[in-house]
Amino acid sequence: MDFRLTEDQRALVDGVREFLSGTHGAEVLRALDGEPTRRSSAIAASLVEMGLPGLMVPADQGGLGLGTVEAVLIAIEAGRAGLSEPLIDGAFVAAPLLTNAGGQDALLAAIASGEARVALQHPANPWVADLDGATHVLSARAGGLLIGTAAAQHPADSVDPLRRLSKPVTVAGTPVAGSSDDLLNRAALMAAAQALGAADAMLALSVDYAGTRQQFGEPIGAFQAVKHHLASATVAIEFARPVLLRAACAVEHGEAHASVHVSHAKLAACDAAVAMAETAIQVHGAMGYTYEVDLHFWMKRAWAMAGAWGDRAFHLSRIDAAVIGGAIPVGPAETFA
Amino acid sequence: MDLAYTPEQQAFRAEVREWMAANVPVGALVTLEREDGYRQHVAWERRLASGNWGMVTWPEAYGGRGLDLIQWLIFEEEYWRAGAPNRANQNGIFLLGPTIMEFGTDEQKARFLTPMAKGEVIWAQAWSEPGAGSDMAAIASRAVRDGDHYVLTGQKTWSSRAAYADWGFGLFRTEEGSKRHKGLSFLLFDLNAPGITRRPIRQLHGDTGFAELFFDEVRVPVANRISGEGEGWNVAMATAGFERGLMLRSPARFQATAARLVELCRAQGSRVSPGAREAVSAAWKGAQAYAYNTYMVASRIIAGGHIGAEASLNKIFWSELDRAMHRTAMQILGAAAELRHFADGEVNAWLEGYIFSLSGPIYAGSNEIQRNIIAERLLGLPRQGAG
Ligand SMILES: Cc1cc2nc3c(=O)[nH]c(=O)nc-3n(C[C@H](O)[C@H](O)[C@H](O)COP(=O)(O)OP(=O)(O)OC[C@H]3O[C@@H](n4cnc5c(N)ncnc54)[C@H](O)[C@@H]3O)c2cc1C
Repeated sequence: MDFRLTEDQRALVDGVREFLSGTHGAEVLRALDGEPTRRSSAIAASLVEMGLPGLMVPADQGGLGLGTVEAVLIAIEAGRAGLSEPLIDGAFVAAPLLTNAGGQDALLAAIASGEARVALQHPANPWVADLDGATHVLSARAGGLLIGTAAAQHPADSVDPLRRLSKPVTVAGTPVAGSSDDLLNRAALMAAAQALGAADAMLALSVDYAGTRQQFGEPIGAFQAVKHHLASATVAIEFARPVLLRAACAVEHGEAHASVHVSHAKLAACDAAVAMAETAIQVHGAMGYTYEVDLHFWMKRAWAMAGAWGDRAFHLSRIDAAVIGGAIPVGPAETFA
Repeated sequence: MDLAYTPEQQAFRAEVREWMAANVPVGALVTLEREDGYRQHVAWERRLASGNWGMVTWPEAYGGRGLDLIQWLIFEEEYWRAGAPNRANQNGIFLLGPTIMEFGTDEQKARFLTPMAKGEVIWAQAWSEPGAGSDMAAIASRAVRDGDHYVLTGQKTWSSRAAYADWGFGLFRTEEGSKRHKGLSFLLFDLNAPGITRRPIRQLHGDTGFAELFFDEVRVPVANRISGEGEGWNVAMATAGFERGLMLRSPARFQATAARLVELCRAQGSRVSPGAREAVSAAWKGAQAYAYNTYMVASRIIAGGHIGAEASLNKIFWSELDRAMHRTAMQILGAAAELRHFADGEVNAWLEGYIFSLSGPIYAGSNEIQRNIIAERLLGLPRQGAG
């Protein structure tokens, strides 16, 4: 029992954070917001250079062969950076599912090299993200999975200016082994991680702002009302983090109650992120209500992640059914049940 | 990250489980907040100590087992799983004990730690004064040096268990005219010493869980001072850190409350409103999150890390979780929540627990104070009036 990140995991996080903060700052988000596609081939190429699309692809297919915990850690960093490129769904959700399905070596190699981009479709989502630009779609059908292709149709605008949505499509393709629940759980876990990263970013922006904005002759961060808002948000964020990592372990090891842990993580992270967004805008005052400050990118990502891959009602009902319904043992000696 | 228990840890769990099954008193004890209940709880402390379970993380030399924090968490899980009573001596074992281990002399360690671990001496914490609650540096009680003794005068208040406990620890002003956190010393005193008067204070639930202490020229040997004269503030800050931090509020007790709440919700079936059901799920989520977080911190400490101002995050989390869980139970019970007793002799534990949970956000440093600490020390926000 050792609930710490390993040296390697910390080094990976530090490296990715440093890279993204150098190449994917707020000015990049603003520039992309002005582009019709909202995407940049240069950023996509730099992610490939970092090896991120191949993070979970087995080494035999040119990937790094890392696990769900590492993917969650990177997804947090993607959320912190407000990453625009569609990295997570293909690399951290489709790749491990395709690896488990078997027989998809060529596609996995193409994911690692950045040639293939896989979008995800599931009934939990009324929209499909990043279908434009995708080479493949991994789609849930009748509890199973289907890999194939489809053209993006009927674009739908997201509140998040950097997110690209389409209405669901008919996928022409072939079944692959695996369950659609597994797809949902992995995707929900990654949405939770991105929300937590966005919350981290909003906290940092708000602390910065509170330390510089002056009113009544003092930085507003000296006032207790402002301090307490930020302290409460910190509590929620810091107690969501271990829940997320615990869920990552459950998914990685295919634990019996993995879906309950994913729902817990989704709720903890998204509730913290939504609350952080409300706190952040309060701390920023009217500036927070404008495009003049960068805050809105992360706020909107948090809202998007909160609704995607099972909304609050969905995940609450899963917890309710398992905890009150009795499927998962509860109590002091059941911490890691 | 490896969330599996080792075979040794599993064997340890089995050992604790077996001992608890054979030793935990059948049926609830009378509340610790009354003299008869206090005596029952002290008897339980001694029984625990007879099995060497008084303080498992302490060195064996002081009556402990020298176990690490993960083993401590396992112990706590089995303790609360077995429905074992509250610890009468938590001020001693969780607060003063670690303080003496860090700041005490060898002589003090030998004198105080073993009797503490054995449940022979029960301790009360005497920091608060009528005019020094949140503002602990406003302490006015004095200790004047007279040869190899200090002479204590003043008043302490809200000292948990001081009505019945054996010894107390607290801060006293040892430097005449000193201000704020300067000139304070950390002293240990026998509550039965001549010159000490205890006045039990009736709490919200009607029992006398804490007491006021009056010091009228109480003589305390200089050898009872922890750390240097005038160094008391730093020592007390360390003790407060222990109080908010890992040890005092182990996650297992909240997991036990969450499990009871789940049972209550199941038993009440369709009477439970959707909102209350959501709050029951939230109780499980909160207790689990607190447990994961504690395991994470414990893993870090075992690897040589330290817990600092993060302890304030814990303090807020457990106290607000506990209050929310009990509030939810009150809502689910509806009209029955009002009853002091459900049936002959059966106390409404949810009502008692709700009343007690209201004090969590106040004691051990109020949550407002904790939020100030988080904002200033963790987030680096400026102090008001500093610029
Ligand atoms: C059940 C229980 C057990 C206790 N046991 C012990 C014990 O064993 N030993 C002991 O020494 N003490 C004990 N206490 C006392 C406890 O430590 C104090 O009550 C606590 O420190 C708060 O002090 P106070 O009650 O004087 O409240 P006050 O300091 O008067 O505070 C009243 C309110 O004002 C707020 N406030 C005060 N200052 C600030 C500030 N700077 N910023 C924002 N808000 C502020 C507080 O948060 C609180 O909401 C116990 C209390 C309770 C309820």
